[in-house]
Amino acid sequence: MKIEIKDLRFTYPTGLDALRGISLSIEAGEQVAIVGQNGAGKTTLVRHFNGLLQPTLGSVMIGDWDTKKYSVAKLASRVGYVFQNPDEQLFSKDVGAEVKFGPRNLGYSKEKIDGLVTRALALTELSDKTETNPYDLSPTWRKMVALASVIAMDTPIVIFDEPTTGQDAANVARIAHVIAELRREGKTVITITHDIDFCAENFERVIALANGQVLLDGAAADVLGQEEILAQTYVDPPQLTRLGKRLGLKETVRNQEEFLNALS
Amino acid sequence: MAFVNLQNVTYKYPLTKTPVLQNINLQINEGEFVAVVGPNGAGKSTLCYALAGFVPHFFKGEISGSIEVAGAESSKSTLDEWVLNVGLAFQNPFNQISGAKYTVFEEIAFGLENSGVPRDEIRPRVEDAMKLTDISNLADRSPYSLSGGQQQRVALTSILVMQPRLLVLDEPTSQMDPIGTREVFGVVRRMAEGGMTVVMVEHKMEWIANFADRVIALKDGQILLEGKPNEVLTSDLLAENGFGLSRYTSTAREAKKRGLWKKSNLPVTLDEAVEGFS
Amino acid sequence: MHERLSFYVQRSSAIHDLNPLTKVILTLALILIAFTSPWYWTPHLLVLIAIIPLSFLGRVAPEFFKTAIRLILPAAGFLFLMQAFFQPVGESVIFKFYFLDVTQESLMFAFRSSMRVFVMVSAFTFMLLTTHPSELMSDLTRRGLPGQFAYVIISTLQILPQMQAKAQTIISAQRSRGLDTESSFLKRAGSVVPLVGPLVFGSLAEVEERAIAIEARGFTSKKIKTSLHEIADSNSDKIIRWVLTILVIISIALKIWLS
Repeated sequence: MKIEIKDLRFTYPTGLDALRGISLSIEAGEQVAIVGQNGAGKTTLVRHFNGLLQPTLGSVMIGDWDTKKYSVAKLASRVGYVFQNPDEQLFSKDVGAEVKFGPRNLGYSKEKIDGLVTRALALTELSDKTETNPYDLSPTWRKMVALASVIAMDTPIVIFDEPTTGQDAANVARIAHVIAELRREGKTVITITHDIDFCAENFERVIALANGQVLLDGAAADVLGQEEILAQTYVDPPQLTRLGKRLGLKETVRNQEEFLNALS
Repeated sequence: MAFVNLQNVTYKYPLTKTPVLQNINLQINEGEFVAVVGPNGAGKSTLCYALAGFVPHFFKGEISGSIEVAGAESSKSTLDEWVLNVGLAFQNPFNQISGAKYTVFEEIAFGLENSGVPRDEIRPRVEDAMKLTDISNLADRSPYSLSGGQQQRVALTSILVMQPRLLVLDEPTSQMDPIGTREVFGVVRRMAEGGMTVVMVEHKMEWIANFADRVIALKDGQILLEGKPNEVLTSDLLAENGFGLSRYTSTAREAKKRGLWKKSNLPVTLDEAVEGFS
Repeated sequence: MHERLSFYVQRSSAIHDLNPLTKVILTLALILIAFTSPWYWTPHLLVLIAIIPLSFLGRVAPEFFKTAIRLILPAAGFLFLMQAFFQPVGESVIFKFYFLDVTQESLMFAFRSSMRVFVMVSAFTFMLLTTHPSELMSDLTRRGLPGQFAYVIISTLQILPQMQAKAQTIISAQRSRGLDTESSFLKRAGSVVPLVGPLVFGSLAEVEERAIAIEARGFTSKKIKTSLHEIADSNSDKIIRWVLTILVIISIALKIWLS
């Protein structure tokens, strides 16, 4: 499902111009990371994708739906959104019920819901915790419950807001695995992140925002190599990209494989 | 006699079944900057709470062994005395805002008011601390109106202003951009050089290697390894135990297998990697 | 995007310059007089001759009226209806609503009690709008109120706007999961648990962390606390407080004497 944004502008009631003319389109099945300093407008932008915010000017189309004409609850069938802090959404007495909540709201049949829940729990390695109260889990596992509860909605587009903040290496690997799996299923994944190494290793396309505008947009290898421009929005290139540059490698490398291949 | 001295510390929260810290022995000298690394659930935060007196004074639970800082023993002190020597800032900045103050300036003054610092000393001390962490421009803002990274700086400043002899920081840069992270590590380094002892839990290996004097690797409540940053952070033991590593380290380890890394020791920082690969 | 998560509005006015305690006494006096005065029209008059003029004097009238219309009036109106219908007093029935009689007496009674509540909440709102929270806390502690007690009061006052902001995020998160909060009443009633649950669970965890954070900054220190701001307490403050106290005593005395 395609996302089409035309000259999007957004001003908060306080008068803050958070988005100042953004146009871009995201094709079905793309893996996009959005980077940029705090206050660049990342969260404001993605909150337009499921109608939580409405454009002050311009338009956002999700497939053939104009977000102005559909409620957030309706748009939830097309766009899943995992918030940064799992504690701002978990309320059920056990993990299973929590993960069921989204697909039930979307009105799927019982068989379909059970299938989706089982799959989401397996993907997030929560299958053995179905009956645990989410608040008895550690914060890292609560994060996985939040992921599962949105993945189970089986939307063609999934948004993650800072999925790796406060997560250790093992859990970052789990989250990367979830994203890879969603890609394999042909879903569009859009992630806000300030973890630039994570971004380099898991996303094909990178959009850098600064002051409510698109600073850079393109293939990860092209965007992440632009050290000076990225510095304008306080983003450092990934570790291996910087290393490649310092060693004078011709192409921009993003991950271990690319780096080692370029070296040999 | 070490400035910080933990002897056989074992601790269990009231509601946990197994000890969260097991037989911890740790000595830290005055002015040393020690980083603590480890996967989630390793006991890093609990170690911070133990150093800052909240374990066991606030959390209760069962503790054995002894914790000494600056010659005083935790079990023989009260928490309100202990916090005058040991400052603690932790990860979630939002919950560290007192909720009783209207501006950032007042927020930072809170600790000084509580510890009875005379009024004419409060203002200059707050101003100096804000300069140090580069947040003077936020003085009149509401603490709640700031971004997560800015709030983390306010939380850090609120503790620095009290001039503790031991500074305990639990992931103080988790919500900061690279510039913010660099500045915080820089400030902490300067404080250590000025004689403050620092214990800092962090995931950002490259920064640790650049700034810390020593690294403690914690796993399942025990010290797995400790020593110089580039020795600990490149150890095979860490890689085998699910620790997050710098990309330079993991990539060089792989390169070594393919014969592309010739040096015997692995890199943690960019400079070490550049040197080894070229 | 809330810039200030606090009721307080920083302006310069005669009211802002008053000592915090004077404003607390003023608020309490308004409430006590409204509730004890034997004269029927006292609460109504207080709104007209005290609370509304004071909000202008304190230069917070726009904020005050906004809160009054959005929050206080609906609450007082609801109370009025409940009492008008369910207060079983009086003979002179004005109209019947099924089995409920609305009498002139019950109307009069309901009008006064809802006005009393209106005075109470609006006096309180007025105080919050014009009183710097940390100055209030410092002043009360300086006067001997235990620090913990003062903190609980102040942080509770501050916490409401924070909770509001947090509730907004929770609502957004749940709507993103397909929760329909915009349609029928029945559906909205069903959405209470997903909205309130995270608010309550989250607050419990926050309370512990906040306790640690303030303790780490010497909150329970046995030293005598100092304060950043010098808090003015002029002679006129003292006079105002005495006058208010006397008015309250007169009001209570009249009540006892006349009953």
